[in-house]
Amino acid sequence: MGRPRNFDEAEVVRRAADLFAARAYDGISVDDLVTGLGVHRHSLYRTFGSKRGLYLAALGWSSEHRIAVLAERMAEAGDPYELLGGPLRDEALGPGLDLLLLALVERAPQDREVARIVAESFALLDGVVGRALGAGGGPGVESGREGRVATGVAAALLGLRALDRAAEPAVDAPAAGSALLRGLDRR
Amino acid sequence: MAQVGIDGDSLVVEIEGLDKLWALKSRLVIPLAHVRGATADPGIAREPKGIKAPGTHFPDVITAGTFHRDGERVFWDVHDASRIVVIELADEKYARLVVQVADPQATVALIESAVPSR
Repeated sequence: MGRPRNFDEAEVVRRAADLFAARAYDGISVDDLVTGLGVHRHSLYRTFGSKRGLYLAALGWSSEHRIAVLAERMAEAGDPYELLGGPLRDEALGPGLDLLLLALVERAPQDREVARIVAESFALLDGVVGRALGAGGGPGVESGREGRVATGVAAALLGLRALDRAAEPAVDAPAAGSALLRGLDRR
Repeated sequence: MAQVGIDGDSLVVEIEGLDKLWALKSRLVIPLAHVRGATADPGIAREPKGIKAPGTHFPDVITAGTFHRDGERVFWDVHDASRIVVIELADEKYARLVVQVADPQATVALIESAVPSR
């Protein structure tokens, strides 16, 4: 099997999640990964099998450590109208949303494993939104009007994050999130 | 150059033309269960290849055959680095195959769709 691993695998996966959150999957070469992660190319192959293997590990880590934490914080938010604003202002957890967004757009349509991890992450957000909006139930896409509203609001979080990533955002994304929830509440 | 295809439960790598001679190999058949993944990776051509045995290595012209590096055996068949695919293996004579193919993206997609997720 060659040399034993001489790097911290968990740390490499965390940093890979940051790299994949910042740029398109096809825009990151193995050279970029070798440079950005400071790990020898052959070690990367030995440990993760392929660029996709590393990507899946990074996406899974992000779902477990960033999206899950984000969902917990959303669940604890005192002001229900700030349900979307809080995550949008959270710089530490933002890359988790970015990676989820990029994975959803880029890789999920062609890679079932990516689609599965994305669905798990989305179910966490969806479940929190559903409970906050009074739809009840656990995580996952729920049936019925409330469930569909929760899915729509959770999807809006990703859209607002995308708008917020612009170099000079044309909208105040947290305020738009808050306005969306107030608008829904009046119906 | 190599032709990479799937035949039943196996990955088949056919070495084409005179490369058979340089690489001293014409065909590799690997059970899909032993294939860990595939990556388009032109940059690997700039890495040290290790010790050649047996095979042919004229830098910048052709790298073909078996190379030993870091205790691993790596099979190379490359003239044009821009079309390299790296195929990582497990429990095989070779730790990985570094081969030039006609369409790296299509080859990666073919292998990824055939290899079971783990």
